[in-house]
Formats: sequence, C-alpha cells, structure tokens
Amino acid sequence: MRAIDHYAWTNRWRNRHPVEKLLPAFSLLLLTLLLPPLTTGPLVVLLTALATVQGAGVPLHAFWTVMAVPAAFLLAGAPFLAVSVSFIGGVNLHISPDGAWLALETTVRALAAVSCLAFLTLTTPLVDWAPLLRRMGTPASLVELILLMYRLIFVFAERALTGYQAQAARLGYARFDRSLHSTGLLAGNLFQRGLDRARRLEIGLAARGYTGELRVLTPERSLSWPRLAAAMALVSCVGLLGLLAHEAP
Amino acid sequence: MTVPLLAVDRLEYRYPGGVVALRDLNLQVQKGRRLAILGANGSGKTTLLLHLNGTFRPTSGEVRIEGQPAGYDRRSLIRWRRRVGLVLQEPDDQLFAATVEQDVSFGPLNLGLSAAETRERVSEALEALRITPLAQRATHTLSFGQKKRVAIAGILAMRPEMLVLDEPTAGLDSHGVTHLLGVLRQLHEAGATLIFSTHDVELAYSWADEVAVFYEGTVRMQGETSAVLGNRELLHRARLRPPLLLEVAQALGMDAESLPRSREALLLLLRERR
Repeated sequence: MRAIDHYAWTNRWRNRHPVEKLLPAFSLLLLTLLLPPLTTGPLVVLLTALATVQGAGVPLHAFWTVMAVPAAFLLAGAPFLAVSVSFIGGVNLHISPDGAWLALETTVRALAAVSCLAFLTLTTPLVDWAPLLRRMGTPASLVELILLMYRLIFVFAERALTGYQAQAARLGYARFDRSLHSTGLLAGNLFQRGLDRARRLEIGLAARGYTGELRVLTPERSLSWPRLAAAMALVSCVGLLGLLAHEAP
Repeated sequence: MTVPLLAVDRLEYRYPGGVVALRDLNLQVQKGRRLAILGANGSGKTTLLLHLNGTFRPTSGEVRIEGQPAGYDRRSLIRWRRRVGLVLQEPDDQLFAATVEQDVSFGPLNLGLSAAETRERVSEALEALRITPLAQRATHTLSFGQKKRVAIAGILAMRPEMLVLDEPTAGLDSHGVTHLLGVLRQLHEAGATLIFSTHDVELAYSWADEVAVFYEGTVRMQGETSAVLGNRELLHRARLRPPLLLEVAQALGMDAESLPRSREALLLLLRERR
C-alpha cells in the first residue's frame, strides 16, 4: 500500500489535471466491459501498462504488483467457471468447451478492467479525486470522511507497526498462544488510542477555527485539451480495433 | 502599566472527575512579549495552554483579552481563536489534510477568506517557515520536524496576534530547534506576541523576555527571565535546575547586568577575559 501511495504522489503525471487521467481510464474500462474481451482486453492492458510505465514513469514491477493480487484471485477462480457439475447418475464433473471459453473471456476481461484501475491508483492520489467526487454530487461530509480516513490510515498503520515491534521486542509473538494474546492487546490499545486521538484532533481543529466543515484549497490545475484529445484518440483506436474484431468472424 | 493582551485571573480548573488541575492561577501577557511557561513534565502546562484559546473553560476565574472577559459562545470563540493561535505539541493532532498546501489553507478558509486571499496567506505562511518546496507533498510522508513546521504554518496563515506553542522544541534535533527559533524570532520582530511552554530551562533563559514558573497547578512566579531563573529555591521546588549559562557566568563572578544569554555570548565573554 505504501508503495502504491508513493508512486501516486511522485509519478510524472502527478500534477496533471485528474480528468486527463480519469476520463481515458474510465472509457477504457467501459470498452473492456462492452466489447469482446479477447482482442480488446490485451490491447487495454498494453495501453494502460504503457501509459503507467512510459508516460507516468512508474516502474513496471509496481504495475505488476498492483495487478498480481487480483490476478491471483482470478486465476484461482477461473477453472471453476470451466467446470460444470451434473448430478445425473452420481456426481459428474466435466469441462465443456463453452465453459472453458467463458472462463478465458471472463479472466481476460477482468484483468483488463483491473489494469485500468491499476493505472489510476498508481498515477492519481486519492486527494485528486475529491473535487471530482464533489462535483458529481457526493455529499460533502462523505468526501470529508474519505479524505480524513485516508490521512488517518497512515497514522494508524504507523502506530500499529510500532506497537507490534515493541511487543515483538519483548517476545510477544514467540509462541502461538502468546501471539493471540499480543494481537488482542494491540487491538485494544489501538482502539483506545484511536478514540484519544480523535479527541485531540478535535481540539487541534477547533484551534484553527473548525466549525463543522473541512474546507481546503483545491490545487489549481489547468486541463490540457490537446492531451485529453490525444488520450481519447488512443482510446478510440482500441475501441475501433475491438469492434472490428467483433465484426470480423 | 498597559492592559495586558491576555490575562488569566484566579483561574481554577477541575477535570470532569473532580480532580483539581489548576488553581488560583494568574498570568499576564503584554503585547509583543515572549513569555515562557516553565514547568516539569506532567505538571499541567498543556491544560493551562488549552485555557488560553478557550478549549477548556475554567471552573472558576476568568481569561481576559485586552481587559474584556472572554466569552465561550460560538462567535466569541471564533473571534478569540482568530486572535490567539494555538500550536499543539504533537503535529499529527493538528494536521488532517492530505497535502501541505491544503492543510495550511484550512484556517484561512474558516476565517471566510476567498480562495485567492487564502492562496496568498498559504504561500506567505509557507515562506515564513521556509517550507515552500513542501507545498504539494503528502502530509504523511513528512518527517516530524517538517510536520511541526506545517502545523505552525497552519496557525500562522490565520495571522493571529498571539501565538501559543506547546513544547515547540520537543522532539526536534538541534538543527530543527535553531530553525524554529529563527522563525519565531522573525515573527516576534514582526510584532507577534509569543507564549510557549517548556521544561527546558536553557531554552527559556536564552529566548524568553519573561518566565512564569509553573508547578502544583499554578504559576508560582512570573517576572523578567534572569530574575526568575536566578531564584534557585523556586526552581528547585518546581523540579527544575538553574540554566547552565547562568551558573557558569555566576561562577565566573560576572555582574548581573552583563550575564550572557546565549552560548555564543558566553564564549565571547570568556575569550575577552583571557
């Protein structure tokens, strides 16, 4: 998670207007869902990988790491799509050609969809989403909550890690039963600290004139129409190729 | 004597459980002064500071701003906090936004300033703390010292007349301390009134115009720095030691008027003597 966050904040496209990244990514996602996956899918993965690595300058291994976890789930789940079970004359398992085809299509489609999201998470920190969410009519308090959670996750993770290290230093995880005990203690402690922190944050915010609304400046970024147009042109090419493949057979 | 900018009068505070935290506490802060509230760890300094911006409401006694008793209704509190900025000891208790620029913009926007004015205030505050290059950084990737500066910038952007800092140098390395004191010096020269709490006698000695010694829930003595810090018995009772600079100077038989206030000044005096 740390690594993803790091690249989101430091990639070359960090300061681009978020729409330049969101619109092409969501368009690709839409194409992935609508068009036949076997041609569109690989194209989408290729394009998002190129954009992430060549464009935004995020190392390729980071892209694969983000893809790896969902991919593992997909590969584990796909075989079950190919297998059908019938109960006629006992339990029968058989692989049907249709089932195999469905499994393949689903896997490719899902991987392509994940690659769109991988591109977004690696190039756009959560903060940049906030203004868009607001404009799309998300309730302000929900957006505030999302942003606050984002900030506090890191504080919390740090506390959890130091707590764990302190326990481990006193052999709190040396045996299985002690591990369970230590984990329980740590969880209780973190909960208590969380409440305590919330109270102190309230004092801190009140000192800065907090009156119930967490308003902050939105960074000024100009939307580059040529860049957006170029990106959308590429997306359209993928769409066309996908359509052609659909018509061809 | 002119009316103090901030005055605490016979203040008493009991925690919700009934334990007395502060009692019969008096404190005056004149405009443009630097006051150090000196006390041992856990003596209740933070509780006192939280009264200075209206976070805690005294059980009895009052806080006055320019002679007027401070009010605790919503509007009075907003006015109060606009004039008195409080910087907490732990910067993570104050920073909530994802980027530095956004976090610093919070206060000015709460004052009802426009986006353009806010931007100006933010860049001014970042400039004052010399952290302009951090503007677009993520808050959670900053070091402790950087977070501390961002927390101060967030208060500074509201342009308070008085800055209250809880243990401002705690947790900073010597470079960080020097940097922070430099920033505070500039603010002071620009006319700001400064209050800070500390257990660091050396810091109070080298930096404050006035010192208030705080123990057993009250301010035992407030006065000019060298006078208060020369009072061994008082410091001993407050579980503090006299500043080394002062002791060295006294051991060398220097007269009260020419006591050095910084290590540089002491070294200079020693060189001159040889």
